Amino acid sequence: MVLYNFKKIAVVPTSKDFIDFTLSKTQRRTPCVVHKHYKISRIRGFYMRKIRFTQQNFHDRLSQIIQEFPKLDNVHPFYADLMNVLYDKDHYKIALGQLNHARHLIDNVGKDYLRLLKFGDSLYRCKQLKRAALGRMATIMKRQASNLEYLEQVRQHLARLPSIDPYTRTIIICGFPNVGKSSFINKITRAEVEVQPYAFTTKSLYVGHTDYKYLRWQVIDTPGILDHPLDERNVIEMQAVTALAHLRAIVLYFLDPSGQCGHSISEQMSLFNSIKPLFNNKPVLVVANKSDVVRIEDISEEDKELLKPLEENNIPLLSMSTLSEEGVSEVKLQACEALLAYRIENKAQTKKLDGILNRLHVAIPKPRDDKERLPFIPDSVWIKKLAKTKAAANQEVEMDEDEEEEEDEENAPKLGKKKKKKTERDIEMEMGDDYILDLKKNYDLPDEYKYDIIPEIWEGHNIADYIDPEIFKKLEELEKEENIRDEAGYYATPKIELDSTIEDIKKLAAQIRERKEIMKQESRIAATTKPKLPRTSTASARERSVSRLKSEMARIGVDIDEKAKDANYKRTRGRSRSLSKPGLKRMRLNSAGDSRSMSRAPRDKSGVKDPETRLKLKKIAHKAIAKKVGKMGLKGEADRFIGTKMPKHLFSGKRGIGKTQRR
Amino acid sequence: MATRVQFENNNEVGVFTKLTNAYCIVAIGGSENYYSVFESELAETVPVIHASLAGCRIIGRMCVGNRHGLLVPSSTTDTELQHLRNSLPDSVCLQRVEERLSALGNVIVCNDYVALVHPDLDRETEEILADVLKVEVFRQTVASNGLVGSYAILSNQGGLVHPHTSTQDLDELSSLLQVPLVAGTVNRGSEVVGAGMVVNDWAAFCGMDTTSTEISVVESVFKLNDATPAAIATTMRASLIDSMA
Repeated sequence: MVLYNFKKIAVVPTSKDFIDFTLSKTQRRTPCVVHKHYKISRIRGFYMRKIRFTQQNFHDRLSQIIQEFPKLDNVHPFYADLMNVLYDKDHYKIALGQLNHARHLIDNVGKDYLRLLKFGDSLYRCKQLKRAALGRMATIMKRQASNLEYLEQVRQHLARLPSIDPYTRTIIICGFPNVGKSSFINKITRAEVEVQPYAFTTKSLYVGHTDYKYLRWQVIDTPGILDHPLDERNVIEMQAVTALAHLRAIVLYFLDPSGQCGHSISEQMSLFNSIKPLFNNKPVLVVANKSDVVRIEDISEEDKELLKPLEENNIPLLSMSTLSEEGVSEVKLQACEALLAYRIENKAQTKKLDGILNRLHVAIPKPRDDKERLPFIPDSVWIKKLAKTKAAANQEVEMDEDEEEEEDEENAPKLGKKKKKKTERDIEMEMGDDYILDLKKNYDLPDEYKYDIIPEIWEGHNIADYIDPEIFKKLEELEKEENIRDEAGYYATPKIELDSTIEDIKKLAAQIRERKEIMKQESRIAATTKPKLPRTSTASARERSVSRLKSEMARIGVDIDEKAKDANYKRTRGRSRSLSKPGLKRMRLNSAGDSRSMSRAPRDKSGVKDPETRLKLKKIAHKAIAKKVGKMGLKGEADRFIGTKMPKHLFSGKRGIGKTQRR
Repeated sequence: MATRVQFENNNEVGVFTKLTNAYCIVAIGGSENYYSVFESELAETVPVIHASLAGCRIIGRMCVGNRHGLLVPSSTTDTELQHLRNSLPDSVCLQRVEERLSALGNVIVCNDYVALVHPDLDRETEEILADVLKVEVFRQTVASNGLVGSYAILSNQGGLVHPHTSTQDLDELSSLLQVPLVAGTVNRGSEVVGAGMVVNDWAAFCGMDTTSTEISVVESVFKLNDATPAAIATTMRASLIDSMA
């Protein structure tokens, strides 16, 4: 089902705004810096983009307007006709048609100038072409000024139209002006239509809703109509006629037998007859309003004669008064019933009903045994229900007795009497954030047991059974025992007695350590990188020597000569060149039969233990070089060619946010 | 009386509540608004109990019960079981069942006399059901759907089933259950009537979205007001046709 909501149509701007929006958008959303020394293709691209962007924006905006406005051919005939009455169908269609044409023209302008731009050979010419293109688009839009203005007015009016659902249950109220149509709709719905004692107070359609039989009913109040030919009717009357013509609804034709509206019964009946064709295939009710002034039975015989045809056509005539509210609800009830019956009759002829037949069926059980299956309703429910009906009855009686009394005064003490039980929600509201749901409160247990702590069960065992009741006492005892032991010095470390020899050794060791430290620091000073004293000064004696060590140690009283026969300082070679002493290292074997003994070894032989290793290393080196050469396409080991020293892509253009070597 | 309620903006009342003639179990929610609707309506007659099952709020779909007993799934914890036992009246048996289809509320629908169960339900569960809830058990489908608990709701006075149940099925089910049945919806056209409302012999609670036509059908089929189920086919027929077709 289509729902008609015209409130969401976007605002239609005036032609000036339209142009301003679009051009400023182009300015904002396309690049704006171009220089004449740029490549011509770049300049052309720059201006092409501007033209295309502007054209697209005009196009989109116009399409939006054209699409959003309802198409008269697609909407429900009621709305199509109503819009024809209110806004003139031709005008509306032409306005939208011209917008469509403007859109087409703008597209063509855009296309033409894009083509021309391809031949632009300088920045100046390209710019002039762009200017011309945008200017022509703006001119086209300027010519649409009146159409846009008209459509904006239509939009505003459409948004204020009542949302009438043409398919739902509808009651239409019609009749002469001032017969009480609006008073009636105010009585049965909450529409709050303005009521005034002059004709044509209601100038458009009004909608209200009322409930009856679990359903929602749409009530439409129409402006009053006068009795003249269709082509002489004004816009206000025509709205009523459209509603009558197109909505499948029940029509309530209001009569004013008192003639207070300024029209006699005969006039009112002739109007009824002249608009009768509009009631074809619709249920109709004639309602005689203002029964508080003149009752329908009391009218003159001639007038009664005029009402005769109604009876002959089986059109019910009802009487009511919106002032005294007499008969108002009967009219509503009759109208709803008649419409419901009419709609059901219509629906019964379609196939729709078959789909829901099962939902209208109440399956009543066939007894299958003699067992009685009674409902189980506790007595307290019955008592409560009984009390409620009694209270309702009482209230009615009381209301009858003293109607004039203020209702508030009457109800206040009554509410106080019936003090309601405090619900959990009330407690929650009272306590606010402090509220904690008490699950145990409503336990079906005696009060003293409710809050008992439930034993914790684990795999069928009560955990409490496995707890030694004296565990804390035992722990305390253990701690006490430990304390006693601690105090008795059980955990204190025993002191070791020192004799004189060990004392001496210790002292000596300390002295040795100190002396050594001093010597270490002295040597560190000597090894400094700071400028040495000039040659003129005397050469410092070699500080670190076996003799010095000996003397230092002797000073402390350590004789190292005797003790260390095999010490490492004894193994040093003397300064003399005599080879009488045997060599300390293993003698190098003359591997390759080299006759020159002491000359410097070639690079590939130096530091190599024996010829096998040398050959091996040579092979490894050869392989490594071959690998590098092969991989990098070099001419040989010495080839250090670098293809491009400054790759252009790494050194040209603006630098972005990335690193220098990564672009 | 049928009442409209919402559980934390959710219309599926039957999911968060289990209502029987002897007790009412309500899920523990963020606030007490929902609980108090049931409390004010029922607390004078039956206990209204806060509970969770296996730590979940969807208690209405997890358990099944009537005034004789309550069956809960095996996932229910000992503490929850203890809480339920303490809260329920002594006349109600509480039993935990080992069942593969653990959402018992979705696969079983029952009143105090009869129960419909999912065709795949365990035989053992069926026996427990018959013993604890004292009901006759029938394996049946509703609108060719095995989840009878979701698509049907029963009281001792009437029943509401999936809207696509055919007229013949309705008659057949009604003869089995021995209560008047109607095919209908709740919550503005929801087919899961079992999950969308709860009912006992004197009160019903539907989701907030339930239309007035739906409410009126519920009230008359469960005999909550003066109307009889027959009213659906007679006095209410016209408005039903007009609102549905």
